[in-house]
Amino acid sequence: MVEHGAKGAGRGPGDHGRRPRRTGLALTAATALALAASACGSSSPTAARHHTASTTTTAATGAASTTTTAATGAAPASTTTVAKASAPASHSTTPPSAACSTSGGPLSAACDTKSPSLQVTGAGANSIQPFFTRAFYFYNQADHGVNVNYSPAGSSVGVSDIQQNTVNFGDSEIPIKTPATGTGGAILQVPVDLGGVALSYNLPGVSGGLKLDGPTVAGIFLGTIKAWNDQAIKALNPGVSLPSTAVVAVHRADSSGPGYDLDQYLIDTGGSAWTSSAAGTTPSTKWPVASVGVGQQLNTGVANYIQQTPGAIGYVEYAYSLQAGFTNAALKNKSGGFVTPSQSGIAAAGAQAAGLSASNFNIVNGPGSGTYPLANFSWTLIYQKQANATLGVVLGKLFDWVTTTGQNQAAALGYSPLPANVVALAHQTLLQLQNAAGKALFSS
Amino acid sequence: MSSSLLEEVPPPRLDPVRGVREALRRRHARPGGRLYATLRWAGAGVFAALVLGLVISLVWSSSDAVRHFGPGFFWSGTYDAAKDEYPTGVFIVGTLVTTAVALVLAVPVGLCAAAFLSELAPRWLAAPLSVAVDLIAAVPSIVVGLWGLLVLTPVFRDHVEPFFKSVPVLEWLFHGQALGPSMLLAGVVLAVMILPTVVALSRTAMRGVAVADREAARALGATRWQVVRTAVVPGARTGIEAAVILATGRAMGETIAVAMVIGNNYSFTHSLLAPGATLGSAIINNFAEASPGIDRSAVIGLVVTLLVITALVNVGGQLLLRARARAERP
Repeated sequence: MVEHGAKGAGRGPGDHGRRPRRTGLALTAATALALAASACGSSSPTAARHHTASTTTTAATGAASTTTTAATGAAPASTTTVAKASAPASHSTTPPSAACSTSGGPLSAACDTKSPSLQVTGAGANSIQPFFTRAFYFYNQADHGVNVNYSPAGSSVGVSDIQQNTVNFGDSEIPIKTPATGTGGAILQVPVDLGGVALSYNLPGVSGGLKLDGPTVAGIFLGTIKAWNDQAIKALNPGVSLPSTAVVAVHRADSSGPGYDLDQYLIDTGGSAWTSSAAGTTPSTKWPVASVGVGQQLNTGVANYIQQTPGAIGYVEYAYSLQAGFTNAALKNKSGGFVTPSQSGIAAAGAQAAGLSASNFNIVNGPGSGTYPLANFSWTLIYQKQANATLGVVLGKLFDWVTTTGQNQAAALGYSPLPANVVALAHQTLLQLQNAAGKALFSS
Repeated sequence: MSSSLLEEVPPPRLDPVRGVREALRRRHARPGGRLYATLRWAGAGVFAALVLGLVISLVWSSSDAVRHFGPGFFWSGTYDAAKDEYPTGVFIVGTLVTTAVALVLAVPVGLCAAAFLSELAPRWLAAPLSVAVDLIAAVPSIVVGLWGLLVLTPVFRDHVEPFFKSVPVLEWLFHGQALGPSMLLAGVVLAVMILPTVVALSRTAMRGVAVADREAARALGATRWQVVRTAVVPGARTGIEAAVILATGRAMGETIAVAMVIGNNYSFTHSLLAPGATLGSAIINNFAEASPGIDRSAVIGLVVTLLVITALVNVGGQLLLRARARAERP
């Protein structure tokens, strides 16, 4: 072609060699600058973590050490006495009589950070990701040999991955229907976290704590309540001046644990309007009424959309709502009280779990004046029979740490520490871990 | 006689029938003997087997759901999460509408850009502009989707959608609340993604038009625009049509970028400002977490539907163009 001939005259092979090197250097410098900027950026979750860490320094120092006395004393000042009392009471503060063994031995808080080195992979719920990221980071600080890689692709992905034995552990907001089995045999379900679902809204001029109950929330998500100054909302909030902004209901386009909780709450309290709609009478992780409003992916997608859109209301994991500084609705609980999501409200809901097990896990719409109605435990899924005994020991110690010492990290992010009976249940479940021959991995 | 593949084809015998057979075989045999022939057939066979295997395995996996729901699976409008019923009809309409919006936006702009790059741009401008257009094609879909979600959505909600709502003539097409995520926004994002395909292929087609045709038009007194309209574009017609068909295929199959900006609302609506859903967005939102059984089979059914529709549009488009070309031949 004519142009190539005319243009190519002044170009020699030497020029081609010099340019890639210069651009390569520029690219590396730009990447390094970008990484440095993102590390210092104020809107990143890492920065938020550091910020909360600085206000709860006792929690950080407590988690770094391995003794139980530090754990009980390091509960952050912002939590109530309920949380303090729920710190590991089932473990004695004196060292166990048998020495900690890296290949099993006693399963106790003192021995949790003395495990073999291993890379561990897990997949599961998006809602527990902030807690797991922080907890696994602090565990790695205490036990440098264990690196955990967690993929928050969703509860159902976690369940199917562990059932097909492609990850070392899974996590799901809703436990597998008992008996839980996969290709590797029976699956143990360990409660590791207590979180809540916030109903966040973006209404300029209206402060947090707008009172909503089951029928109004059902009306919002069914599309029958179209504006914020609707009669139903006004009746619940007599003193508040509500704008005429249109309501935009935001739901999760993918399957979600928070959606399951809200669906359960609306089935219990939303009346016939909800149960006679596409929602039916069984809660589902897929949001059932997808013909109203807008759907976004993951907690982050919903949170981002609520932040951008005046008049939007949607459900997000409380930890995300806390991080984003959202205004949350005060939901009516079983006793008639209107409660906004908070650690104490979620802890009160967790305290209702008297006979908690993988087949009896529902704590939505619990009674009590201070109970927040949308709360749930998150369940870690591991095989009972571990073909690789080292992996079994690492997993047992890791999740024993997560359910005891690691709960301090949960409180810093907006989750509630596990109540004492649930910690005991987790411990008992982990003791069921066996090696390939069927022998228990831990002595006590 | 050893039967190594590297053995050359033996010379024909003197027997007449055998001789004819051998002569024909030698005519069709190529240098290198049987090895080359085997490799040729193996290559073509592997490719055909892959495509056939893909289609067959998808159809097989979706057969459970289709048997369960009946043929109504392919045009259903109801979404029942508990019964694993997906509104395939809604998704099909959403796919066609967003693709149509993307083509309406991308094809005219793309053709004008291609004409500019091939005919009107000075050489110092044409090269960097072509590179820039190709760079848009190199941007991953999820990045475009994220850009649409974070940057375009507020712009659409606050400015573009209210503007379209205010135009009185178009009210049937643009009504309802301006939410941001909508079929219109998804169409715009798709248009951005298919634009490089249209521009690059059309530009190549236009540059392939013989210089003599252009000079003939100039000689007859055509202005630059008339040269493009009467000599270049008709001459590049087959290339431009191929570009449009390729772009259509890409727009129909796009998943993550659309899922982030379309609003994931499973209902029929004739407003472009309403959130909707396409086959691609539904597949990507539901497949990872589909419970094994009817649910997963139903999502694979959506994949098969997308495959069939893309094939129909491709084949239909090609047949239409071929019929038109045949009709226009003197």
